[in-house]
Amino acid sequence: MNEKIDLKKVEKQTYRFTFTDGLYDMAYGSLLVFIAIAPILREILYPSYIILLILPPSLILLLGARFITVPRIGIVKFNQNRTKSRNKIGLLIAILFPITVVMVVLTYLGLYNIKVGGYIVPVGAGVFALILLSLIAYILDYSHFYLYAVSIGLGIPLAELLKPIFGEPLHYLISFGISGTLILIYGIITLIKFIKKYPIPKEEISNVKG
Amino acid sequence: MSKDENNIIDEISTPNSIDKLIHEPARLNIMTRLYVVESADFLFMMRQTGLTFGNLSAHMSKLEAVGYIKIIKEFVGKKPHTMLKLTEKGKKAFDEYRKQMKQFFNEI
Repeated sequence: MNEKIDLKKVEKQTYRFTFTDGLYDMAYGSLLVFIAIAPILREILYPSYIILLILPPSLILLLGARFITVPRIGIVKFNQNRTKSRNKIGLLIAILFPITVVMVVLTYLGLYNIKVGGYIVPVGAGVFALILLSLIAYILDYSHFYLYAVSIGLGIPLAELLKPIFGEPLHYLISFGISGTLILIYGIITLIKFIKKYPIPKEEISNVKG
Repeated sequence: MSKDENNIIDEISTPNSIDKLIHEPARLNIMTRLYVVESADFLFMMRQTGLTFGNLSAHMSKLEAVGYIKIIKEFVGKKPHTMLKLTEKGKKAFDEYRKQMKQFFNEI
């Protein structure tokens, strides 16, 4: 019998257990892959290609949780501290997302034009993405987000750097496609392992003692 | 091993004031897992504790009978769903158990 029960450790283990399905990796990996092929999609599906950037990751997370994760490992509700952390992320995204959209729209309309040359804009955007995702990783207490932060933080300036060398759309495929594919494959392998390890129970146990 | 010997071993390994209902390893595992979350369903508890359906069900019944856990029925979509939660009494009993175990180990 252990003389000391480390409750923080148990809570952290329980919390991290909910990430073992690989869905976040798959969602982020697919986002990067779609960013990588965005220049190609833009030519074919303009302007609706933006939906393809948002839709697959959202569907992976929502449908994956609904049809894969919950039937295999059940449902858990965490204490207020964890709930507050997730609310903070929601607030962060709620503030930053409209700002980003407005900036993009204004830039497209030519009303807001960044008159800086060189690599300042892509490096700035990379640093912004790096900080934002690192902040999410810290609040969410999920270390994979740091990897996501680095992949997009480096990807944005790298794409600009590779553009004169490889041209469009190869610069995007190299900058985001490689890391995106690797993360996506890692997510798929994790999901397969998860499915094998936690099969759907044969008994109807969602309503026991009911 | 005789009944007396069993009692002596039990006496040595656990002080009298220790809550033996929590002290049992499977139930201690259940109580610890439920202590760190708001609530969890039966399947989640099965995955976390590694107990079988029957085993977990039996331990849950004992803990429910003494009022350490409560069962909350709610709907997930249109399906009824059973969530398990540690009661205030259960939390207090668990805190007390930890305190006593700590004290016990400090004394030896």
